[in-house]
Amino acid sequence: MLAQIRQQIDRLQAQGASYVDARWVPLEESRYLLMWNGNLKENTSDRQSGVGVRVLYKGAWGFAASSDLSNLGALFDRALDNAQAAAQRVTFPVRLADKEAIQATFTSPCQIDPFSVPLADQIAFLQEMDGRMDRAGVQQRVGELSFVRKQVFFVDSEGSEIEKRITEVFSLLEILGKDDQGVAHERKFRLGRRGKSTRGWESIDAEVFGQEADRIVEELNQVLAAEDCPKDDRAVILLPGIMWLQTHETIGHPLELDRILGYELSYAGGSFVTLDDLGSLRYGSDKLTARADATLPNSPGSFGFDDDGVACQNTVLIDKGILVGAITGRQMVEEANARAGRQIFQGSGGCNRASSFYRVPIERMTNINVDPGQDGTLEDIVRDTEQGIILDGERSWSIGSNREQFHFATEIGWLVEDGEIGPVVKNPTYKGDTVLFWNSLSAVGDESTWEVGYVDNCGKGQPNQVMQLGHAVPVCRFDNVRIGE
Amino acid sequence: MSVKARILDTLDELRRHARQQGYTVELLYHEEDSHLMRFANSAISLNTNEHLVRLDVTAHMERKRASYGLIADPADLDGMRAGIDIAGEMVEHAQPLTYEPTVPVYEQTFVDETGYDPVLAGLGNQERLDYMNAAVEGLESEDIKLSGIFSCGSNIVAVTNTNSEHSLYFRTSDAQITAVLAHVIEKWEVIAEQSAQNTGELDPAPLRQELAFLLDLYQRETPQQLPLGTYDVILGPAATAELVSMMNWIGFSGGSMKRGFSFLSEDEVGQQVFSSQFDLIDDPARLETYPYKMDLTGIPRKRYPIFEGGVFRGFVWFQDDADEFGAEPTGHTVFHKSLVIGSGDREIGSLQELVDMPRQSDVLYIPFLHYMNIVNPSKGIMTATSRFGTLLLKADGSVAIPFNVRLTQSLRNIFGEQVDWLSKGTVAYNTSDSYGRRNPTAIVVPSFIKIDGLEISHSNAAF
Repeated sequence: MLAQIRQQIDRLQAQGASYVDARWVPLEESRYLLMWNGNLKENTSDRQSGVGVRVLYKGAWGFAASSDLSNLGALFDRALDNAQAAAQRVTFPVRLADKEAIQATFTSPCQIDPFSVPLADQIAFLQEMDGRMDRAGVQQRVGELSFVRKQVFFVDSEGSEIEKRITEVFSLLEILGKDDQGVAHERKFRLGRRGKSTRGWESIDAEVFGQEADRIVEELNQVLAAEDCPKDDRAVILLPGIMWLQTHETIGHPLELDRILGYELSYAGGSFVTLDDLGSLRYGSDKLTARADATLPNSPGSFGFDDDGVACQNTVLIDKGILVGAITGRQMVEEANARAGRQIFQGSGGCNRASSFYRVPIERMTNINVDPGQDGTLEDIVRDTEQGIILDGERSWSIGSNREQFHFATEIGWLVEDGEIGPVVKNPTYKGDTVLFWNSLSAVGDESTWEVGYVDNCGKGQPNQVMQLGHAVPVCRFDNVRIGE
Repeated sequence: MSVKARILDTLDELRRHARQQGYTVELLYHEEDSHLMRFANSAISLNTNEHLVRLDVTAHMERKRASYGLIADPADLDGMRAGIDIAGEMVEHAQPLTYEPTVPVYEQTFVDETGYDPVLAGLGNQERLDYMNAAVEGLESEDIKLSGIFSCGSNIVAVTNTNSEHSLYFRTSDAQITAVLAHVIEKWEVIAEQSAQNTGELDPAPLRQELAFLLDLYQRETPQQLPLGTYDVILGPAATAELVSMMNWIGFSGGSMKRGFSFLSEDEVGQQVFSSQFDLIDDPARLETYPYKMDLTGIPRKRYPIFEGGVFRGFVWFQDDADEFGAEPTGHTVFHKSLVIGSGDREIGSLQELVDMPRQSDVLYIPFLHYMNIVNPSKGIMTATSRFGTLLLKADGSVAIPFNVRLTQSLRNIFGEQVDWLSKGTVAYNTSDSYGRRNPTAIVVPSFIKIDGLEISHSNAAF
């Protein structure tokens, strides 16, 4: 197959294509198990295979994909035909930043292949967790296991040939109960990484999950008995269970370079960030350093090489509060530099990814992380807070179309008064304007508070693509935030 | 051999194989031919074509169930047979459900191709580009750039199972067009959209007219930050359809209600929940909604009132939820419903007429709600931000351009007693997303709905 692909690439180049690449996925498998109130509602496996072809012709992209590999030539022709049609409407001819021709392989770290584990063992794990969560106050119990294993070959007309083998494991426990007014409340635990574990089946540690199940049941019952969140302005202390989402929505998405350049405008939206802001915008307080680190071991946001064939990197996005970088691929950095009239980017940041063989690569988050700080443990931060609220667990999130403002609801809040943790409150929400909010960052927890959260459902693009990534974030405190609306 | 014959023959062969192996299976075949031309910065930023065939196999063994899905090479029957074998093997290791899942019996073969227009399905690159060029002719400039999509294609769903000698087969064509014109410096955006089920419904002229009208307003007026407070609001079709989509999820679904994710309760069946002006019907006779005229368990689908005069008529039940909770299935085991909000009596047919409408007080027109999410499902509270051509229609007849604002409101408020009027004219608003497999969907909504006294909870200081 690889030889046939190379032949087709050569053929399209001879017909005038300036660049061609193909991703051949011989096999991508997934398994999804969902246990709901003791019922194995989903017991699903999937497989897919096929080829996606991307062609650049006179500065315009064409793409075609198919699971029918009986006529590879026709598939490549369709991609070229699509590019030729697109070439009728070009305003900024696509150019690709230079890269090395790479022959390489990447295998994600995995000690125990989740597909090698008997289904009975996986069901037994969910049953055990279901039993653990089946306690007073809990009306709905959900346990999920999700695995992906894929092999991807990338070949391009610049001499790159890369093979990737990636295995991912995701898991979630979630419970729901109703308070005395019949209003539903949720609490969840999502698999992430604490320490340096790998991310195969070995990351499903029944003892850890059991402890987390006990914790969320206890916390849900506290929420069910709690008063409503007050409506006022105060310090919010975000635990990693909500801090990852804050980072995702208000640092990750606005710093995707295709959004900044207007390529997502008609759907996901744009960004309040402009090219002029790079190097000068005070995005946050000087306690904020954020990065796109695709070299972080053992997270879904680390994948070896992106789908432009560029090696993964660790790129600083925000340095001590100043915006210095973005989430980039080969096409967008060239266009950004040209539009800005200066060399903002030295090359691709290696962030161009496609969710499957039948989708085209676009700028995606890798691991968008906030560096741990110098403000100690959670206890230290609480002790230093006069009036605040600790928040955890995402419940809803809604963000302005340029990521300029946001509204989040969380699962639980603990009031903080005079350096002491007080009562739990229910229905907590908070909102803010992105830049004002990050500039109100007043405390950043140390390594002891820093956790890697896995995300398996980030949506972007048309046709839409759901991507896996990660966020490593510490506990953070923000001052004067409106809560309870 | 026709496409239909090829697919039905394939299903017959796969069913035969499953029976030979002694499996009880349900088979779902999905074939899509998708074309998407995407525009950004006034260029075609992406031009894609995907031809994908999927087979989903659900195996049953007493109360145990397992599924195996594959994106398949349509010529690879052995690969599909292997998928059935894997599902058959998986189900042996599954855990029994606490209820008996239904495997339906199809009494006759049902074929519906009334929603399929081969011309629309086969639309070429040049036709798509010509349409978009016509929709924005003369409207782009150095500062005003086109974004959007022209998505079209065909979609086939076919099902059978080992309990049946027959199959169900559905084939549709669809198109979804979104044209956005955005100012590259000032960052405002205006939008016009169209949904089509056949070629005759494609017409770029109304899009151009609406874009030109909005552009004129946006270029003439200086945008301003709205004071927080309570406003009379008129929702456009996109905003209304998005709210109804959310209600579909956390409102009248029986399964959601039983699982605690609904703002409606069983006690409210037969009760007044919304404004007496509010009717919501699931009407599979409406071709513009890409309907399923029979559900995937073989129940013929008919007009099903969900709200009439604001009175809640009852929950809808997906077969598996009905099995689990002991309810009667209602013919809603489908990938999407055919939701229609009844029209009102206000004679306002276009945005121009809305702007020219005499009014006693300021009215905020919100055409589109961006990034809607559910703050509290039990209370039906949603939050979202206005986008794409919001207007403040002032009492003196003038029009102001507000920066975007956030609404955090319950569905009971939005469609409740505060509804002032609904327009007579309706629009099929295309709500298809492009996650996963193609599933063309549209909701028929009044072009405009006026709601009095909704609170704005956040007001942007810029676009």
